[in-house]
Parts: sequence; C-alpha cells; structure tokens
Amino acid sequence: MAGQAGGTPSTYSPSPTTRKTKSLILRNDDVDWVRTDGREFHQCRPAFFKTGAVNAAAGSAYAEFGNTKVIVSVFGPRESKKAMMYSDIGRLNCNVSYTTFATSVRGQGSDHKEFSSMLHKALEGAIILESFPKTTVDVFALVLESGGSDLPVVISCASLALADAGIMMYDLVASVSVSCLGKNLVIDPVLEEESYQDGSLMLTCMPSRYEVTQLTITGEWSTPKINEGMQICLDACAKLATIMRECLKGPDSALEE
Amino acid sequence: MVALSIGEKYFIQGGIAQDLRGDGRKRLTPRPIYVETGVISQSNGSARVRMGATEVIASVKAELGRPSALHPDKGKVSIYVDCSPTAAPTFEGRGGEELSTELSVALQRCLLGGKSGSGAGIDLSSLAIVEGKICWDLYIEGLVVSSDGNLLDALGAAIKAALSNTGIPRVNVAAGASGDEQPEVDVSDEEFLQFDTSKVPVIVTLTKVGRHYIVDATSEEESQMSSAVSISVNRRGNICGLTKRGGAGLDSSVILDMISVAQSISEQLINTLDSQIAAAEAGEDES
Repeated sequence: MAGQAGGTPSTYSPSPTTRKTKSLILRNDDVDWVRTDGREFHQCRPAFFKTGAVNAAAGSAYAEFGNTKVIVSVFGPRESKKAMMYSDIGRLNCNVSYTTFATSVRGQGSDHKEFSSMLHKALEGAIILESFPKTTVDVFALVLESGGSDLPVVISCASLALADAGIMMYDLVASVSVSCLGKNLVIDPVLEEESYQDGSLMLTCMPSRYEVTQLTITGEWSTPKINEGMQICLDACAKLATIMRECLKGPDSALEE
Repeated sequence: MVALSIGEKYFIQGGIAQDLRGDGRKRLTPRPIYVETGVISQSNGSARVRMGATEVIASVKAELGRPSALHPDKGKVSIYVDCSPTAAPTFEGRGGEELSTELSVALQRCLLGGKSGSGAGIDLSSLAIVEGKICWDLYIEGLVVSSDGNLLDALGAAIKAALSNTGIPRVNVAAGASGDEQPEVDVSDEEFLQFDTSKVPVIVTLTKVGRHYIVDATSEEESQMSSAVSISVNRRGNICGLTKRGGAGLDSSVILDMISVAQSISEQLINTLDSQIAAAEAGEDES
C-alpha cells in the first residue's frame, strides 16, 4: 500500500506516456492477472504534488498521479455576489471541468456538474467556513488529462490548493478510490480498470481527525468487502496526506537550509 | 429552506435524543408508505408513492434504440429526476437544478451498479433485442410533486413500483437481415413482457441529527441534520450503492454501524413495498 510513498515521497520519476493498447479482458474468475502498469493490487500510483502552479490565484496546486493530471486554483475569500443573501459563514463554490483533450474522445463532457457537487461536499466539512463570513471562496479544478481516479485526485489537489491559499481548515482532505474487479479490490484504478470494474468505492477523509467527509459506493458489495475497502482507503489516505504535507512544507524547509 | 425558531430546533433535537419525534415516531420508524401504480397512461409503467406529505411520481418509458459500441449486448437506461417549482419555491431555477442532478446521480449510482453492469438492479442484458443493432432504451423519470423530506427514498420506492408496473412490448425481428443492414422489427401492441424487479434495491437514508440518526426524516428534521447517508440495499442484504450528503465528517465506525442498521430496515421496507405494490396492481386490475 505504501506504493506512492516509496523511498523519497515527494520526487516523481516521469514515466513515459505509452500509447495504451486494449489489453486482455479481465475475467472475473482470473485471479492471477497483472495490472497494466505492473502495480500490485494494493499499490497506489506514484503521487506528485506541487503548490503555486498558478500565479494569479490566491493558492493553487498541481497533481499528477500516473497519467491523471489535474490543476486546481483557489480564489478568494472575496466578497460574495450582491444578489446573494447575507450569510454569517463563508461560501464555497466549486467547479470541476475537463479540457477538450483530456479524454481519448475529444471534447467529451467539458463540465462535470456531479463532480463539482461531489468536490463541494468533500471539502465543505473540512473548511472552517466561520473564518470568512460574507465572502466566497472559489475552487476551480481543471483535469488536464484523465487517466482514471480523476475525482479523488481532484479532491486531494483541491485541499492542497486551499491550504496553499491559507484558507483555514481542520485538516487536509485526502481521497482514494478502490475498484472491485471480480474478487479483487484494486486501489487507485487507471481508466482501463475503471471501465471494467464491477463496483467502486471512493473515500474522502481527514486523516488526522480520522473523519470521513465523503463516501460513495457503486455496484454490489457485501459488508465484509465494504469493511476491507474502507480500511484500505483509510490507510492510503493517511499516507497520501503525509505526502501532501511534505509538499506544503517543502519550500519553507528549503529556505531554512 | 425551512425557517425554524430556536425553540422548535430544540424541540426537534431533544425529541430525537429521547427517541420520540414530533409526529410520534421512534428514531428508526419510517412513515407509512402508500403506492399507486399505473397513474400515467402514456408511459409503459408508472407509480405514485406517498410518504406523509412527500409525494413523488415515477414513469418508465421504453423506446427502441441502438446499443452503445462498448456494450453491444445491453440496453440503456437513463434516470432523470425533475424537481418542479410547484412543490416548493426553492426548487425554482438553480436550487432545483442542483437538487435534481444530486438526486439523479444518487439514483443512477444506486440502481445501475458498476460500469461492467454487475450488481445492477436493472438487468441491462434483458433489454437487448438484436446484438449491436437494436435494444430497448428505458427512460426512467421521477417527478417531485410535493416535498416533505426523504425524497431519495421515496423516488427509489416509486421507481421500483413503476418498474414492476412496466410492460415491455414483445418484439418480433424479421429474419433475413444480414450484415450491416438494420433488421426490421415488429413491435407487438398486445403482448407485453413483465419486468423482473426482484433485484431492484430499496434506498434507506439515515439522517444524523445530533448524536443520533433517524430514518425517513421530514424536511424540518432534515434542516437540523449534520450529515446523511443514503444506502441502497437489495433483497440479499448486499449494498448496491452509497451516497453521503451533508458536509460534516463521520467516523468510519459510525458509517459501518449505519450500514448494518440500513440492512435491517431495508428488509422491512422491501416487504412492505412488495405488499403495497401487489395490492396496487390488484386494485388496478379490478377497476
């Protein structure tokens, strides 16, 4: 499971973006198949995070998990629109969009409404909204390249961008998904695995508080399997959060040296 | 949004803490559910479900279409929910749109299963007619007529009832079409195939208010929630989908506890719903 941690967590060795060919069909009873990128079932892709990717934004972050590349910028807190009602807590506005070249078929779904609302729900529990009354924080996420597990990457990246913008949060939010393929649970699935999956479980949590802010399950799951899936995700989230924290500390510790 | 005074808020929260809610129910007692089927003559199947002041209509329409290239042996199902501003003024404009998408996505997640089609409540391969050429497209549409909380559970029940009310016309495929030609089909208007709904799950939403959670919340109670978890459970007791609403975080052990509670509640709900559907179908046949 410590796949993304490796020896040096914050470094990332770029893997050649090979053009994928349709691999063999993942049969349900076949236990011995190997994942397309040679990972183990419970091994995440190497994670790379970088803050301050956009100069104009109050805070921003870029994340790269294998082929999934995401950029998130945070604007604000700024004054809420005049038309909005008075509110003694801050507002969070989230938007997730895809570039036209993000998917293999051009220009599919440039605006993901359900992703936007999922991102909002995943983050709002972690942000101390009371700290900026009457104002709005905008979180804009852009998926540059979709390579599977897009939403978890967007969520983790967005929480990093919020932290970079200095928005007060209870904890960083980390998100990981697992796919159920036959009997196996596969963590951090790539696009191909996602299209064959029998079910998926996405968990978003605040690791230091051990609190789940968002959980979605599709497909048919038995209770022990949900248990297992949640445990795998919680472990992976905790590890992901340490990488994210390293990334936030990075520039400062470099200055001290 | 429900406007409540501080006193009313305390009354709701205190009542839930003492296991006695405003309408006399216990925390885990749902409101009685009323089902009426065949309410829309234009569609292939329809149902109206009433739970207290919450009322929803679901309709199923079947149309002939082309299967997608990715799954040539399967039909297609689309689920869409409409929140009409006639039910509540907040449903007008963006508020209704947001709620509509949220409900539609949650229902899709709960009923359609994984991408490979396993665990789906609706068997998509039963909708195929000629592989790669013709299939049935099911359009499931929900309408919120009146809203008093717990919309998702009501819509799930209405869709289940509407599907069991659905008759899909028998199709005769003319032999002789070969290659790329689109085969000719003859849709019978007398013979209908009954839809198998035994695998369609029910949705149970547990709303957390204070330190306790309640089933089948009214809109007053929903306004006091910290978070809610909607769990869809099928007859075998397996989870078919789960969505969390509300911002507050939950401990993972609480979620697992909620899942087991939902499983036991769903058992009763499936049984009541089945008997209600059967009664509604019988009543419709007589009239």
